[in-house]
Amino acid sequence: MNKTLKCILWMVVLVFIGYKSIYFKKLHSMKAVNTGNFNAAAYASNYLNITLPGLMGKAIPVDRLLADLQSAPQKTFDTYSNALDIGTIRFFWVKGRGRVVSVNEENVTLQTDSMHAIINIATEYVFGNAVRDATGLIHINDFGSTADLNNISAEINKLIRRQVLPPFKAKAKKGDEIEFSGAVELNSAHLDVAGSEFIPVSLKIMR
Amino acid sequence: MRKLSVWLLLIVMIVGCKNQANNTSQPKKVAIIVSTLNNPWFVFLAQTAAAKAKELGYDSRIFDSQNNTALETDHFENAIATGYKAILFNPTDANGSIVNVNKAKAAGVPVFCMDREVNSTDGATSQILSDSYSGSADVGKYFVQTMHKTGKYVELLGLVSDNNTWNRSKGFHSVVDFYPALKMVAQQSAEFDQNKAMEVTESILQAHPDINGIFCGNDAMALGAYQALVAAGKAGKVKVFGFDGAADVVQSIRDGKITATGMQFPKIMAQTAAIYADEYFKGKRDFPRKIPVSVELVTAHNVNDYIAFGKK
Repeated sequence: MNKTLKCILWMVVLVFIGYKSIYFKKLHSMKAVNTGNFNAAAYASNYLNITLPGLMGKAIPVDRLLADLQSAPQKTFDTYSNALDIGTIRFFWVKGRGRVVSVNEENVTLQTDSMHAIINIATEYVFGNAVRDATGLIHINDFGSTADLNNISAEINKLIRRQVLPPFKAKAKKGDEIEFSGAVELNSAHLDVAGSEFIPVSLKIMR
Repeated sequence: MRKLSVWLLLIVMIVGCKNQANNTSQPKKVAIIVSTLNNPWFVFLAQTAAAKAKELGYDSRIFDSQNNTALETDHFENAIATGYKAILFNPTDANGSIVNVNKAKAAGVPVFCMDREVNSTDGATSQILSDSYSGSADVGKYFVQTMHKTGKYVELLGLVSDNNTWNRSKGFHSVVDFYPALKMVAQQSAEFDQNKAMEVTESILQAHPDINGIFCGNDAMALGAYQALVAAGKAGKVKVFGFDGAADVVQSIRDGKITATGMQFPKIMAQTAAIYADEYFKGKRDFPRKIPVSVELVTAHNVNDYIAFGKK
């Protein structure tokens, strides 16, 4: 074999290896990775509209939660909170009544019925996993990918922003008597109830 | 002759038993294979795993994959061939690392993923992962609040082959995209690297000198972005957000240089992986396939509750 032919063969081999080793993908195509066939929107709708209304009996009354957090915080976390994660961030499934103290840009402030404690109901920043995780019904091992789990939260929050908040925000005013259910995220290592927001699942103006 | 044979047989049996006793008394070996040791976060993860393994009575060795799946494959083959009984693993590539995990499983060596996941629920015995999506949603909420729902911003992505990159990006956008007055003018990968982040930010600043915020998929990139802002005379005018909880960034938040970060807990992940390996050796098999670890938002308001890579 002459030298030129050898050289050409080597070049073909190198080009082939190079072609097979390097490839380019657009960023947006990488974003689509891991989105399988799981219908998070349907799952979230069923959870919010069918499952949660049936779980009102298991929601802790907000006044009892606040009182228990004052008297025995760790026991309260151990007894009532749920979370999918390891860590000190935990979620509570809550119900209660209160009177509207103020209607703000990002939340509605209530004074609770019996404790007269001040709590905030989120009306702007409805994000995160509080509603998904507070009941303890959803288990991580039931899902193949964390993307599916994340999509459940995103869809639940979307439904709350679309279904629950608009009719409430349109009518709520100072002095209204409110009945609500929802979820709240609390950190057992840095407990701050006053700085937390309750994510509403249902909001009823009783007048 | 017969007597001699019996004596020889007895000697062989005694020597065999002695060797066996020696073998069982030797501590089991645990391999710790991490994506890179060129980032203090992963050094901390690896060293914590090694310390916990030692505390539990195992020998361990740390292997650095240098963000290279081929090198990672070599480490797996080495670990399996040289008798490591479990692998505490920080994958380089969510898809590319699956083959290595499966190879270990086929060899009967359990793999416990730390921080980063592989896109398979079959190979690894358990995956202990940062809840990057939720943590970034929290960073995103704070981003919206501190930007007052308006302005131009840049996003620096990590390695595009890593799930954490996209979980962080998606978590952040799950909040920020609801605010149309917040406009993303550039989204580029800086591969979780401080120097690359500085270079990328420098070039972005030339095209978009009027940005108000930068969201970075890790703290190394946040530091690189901040360096570029200092060089351009824009430090303090552009808010920088990171993710990790690295020492330099915790201090930078205290100093008012960086606005916020998502605090991960590598200690919890590394220790849990080592504990799971110990439990596996003792017979446990029903591990959660994936278990997330909470990420907490660190800002100027609560930074004194935190230290590098965790709580005080």
